[in-house]
Amino acid sequence: MKLMQGIQFLGEWGAVAFGVGFLAPLIAQSMDALEVPAPFGLSTIAFGLIVGPTAGLVAKLRGSWV
Amino acid sequence: MSAADTPVERRFEGMTDRQLLREEQAIARRFLGRVPWEMVVWGFGNFLVWLSLWPLVLTGVLPLWLGFLLSTICCALAYLPSHEAQHSIIAAEGEKLRWLNQLLGHVSTIPLAFPYGIAWITHRIHHAYANDPARDPDFGSQGESWWQAAYNALRERQPMNDGMYAQTLRESDDPNRDRAFVEGLVLGWVHFGTLSVFAWSGYAIEAALLWWLPRHIGFMYLITFLSWAPHHPMMETGRYRDTRVWKSPVGTVLSLWMEFHIIHHLYPKIPLLDTPKAWRALEPILIERGIRDDRRVAWASEDVAKPVEEAA
Repeated sequence: MKLMQGIQFLGEWGAVAFGVGFLAPLIAQSMDALEVPAPFGLSTIAFGLIVGPTAGLVAKLRGSWV
Repeated sequence: MSAADTPVERRFEGMTDRQLLREEQAIARRFLGRVPWEMVVWGFGNFLVWLSLWPLVLTGVLPLWLGFLLSTICCALAYLPSHEAQHSIIAAEGEKLRWLNQLLGHVSTIPLAFPYGIAWITHRIHHAYANDPARDPDFGSQGESWWQAAYNALRERQPMNDGMYAQTLRESDDPNRDRAFVEGLVLGWVHFGTLSVFAWSGYAIEAALLWWLPRHIGFMYLITFLSWAPHHPMMETGRYRDTRVWKSPVGTVLSLWMEFHIIHHLYPKIPLLDTPKAWRALEPILIERGIRDDRRVAWASEDVAKPVEEAA
């Protein structure tokens, strides 16, 4: 059961990790490719690092990305 | 007159259940025992094509849009060879080619990042309890339409969701369960780690279009044709009623031979590509047995065909 709990824990926080590890650079590089500037004078990667993990945290709290 | 209109053969009249079953098994046995080498080639070939897309796209040999398209096709094709291995169709425990069976099972689902061990355990439970809302791990793909089913299955697949697959695994007494958990964990983090490494190296869009999005689309396709359509509307249970023979609007090949899924549930060791001819041989006796023959209703209709004796 400890193994299952460990997997459950990683699964729950995996959404936030996904936000940092994948979504943040994906958002930044998509904005760069589309030549969309980040708001408030932020760099695109800084913007991605705000939006990605926030989305991951929301997914974690909701229990689902969709 | 189509096959569906053919009257039940008179030779089955008056036979007892036991005699019918014996007859049915005798016919089915003709399609058992062959090693489906085409599935071995399909599984490893598909994986190698998918793997080759990465260097081809990253070096600019292949445009990203084409890589995305091919990767999506590879993901949609990734499950079925492993499915043959899950039923030990290539080789059973103790046979000479068992290693190949297991290797195929593990390798072919890598594009889907779907661990063989978990697929193995949950698929057996699906066969045992198909359409049982409390025990069938695939019941999460129930829906009025294919897109509802795909959405339901997407929610079901969320890693933080305690869905039917998680419950099935938790309650499983399979001796390989803990190993399957570890396999799932490792594959999940390899998937995430690969996406992250590529993303932080400046290839986030390539990683998204070569693995992340194709995997989700591939799963949607598989859920639609392998889980939802053959079992829809998932209201009946029992050997002859938990799946059906049906007419796909996109044809046999694009629906991955699932129009004959009833053959697979009755005789899981018949190779996938032999299920159409097994159906043709078994059709009269299976109609007599009262299977769900939904070939004359729309694939998404909940107005499922009644058994012969009820309809008469």
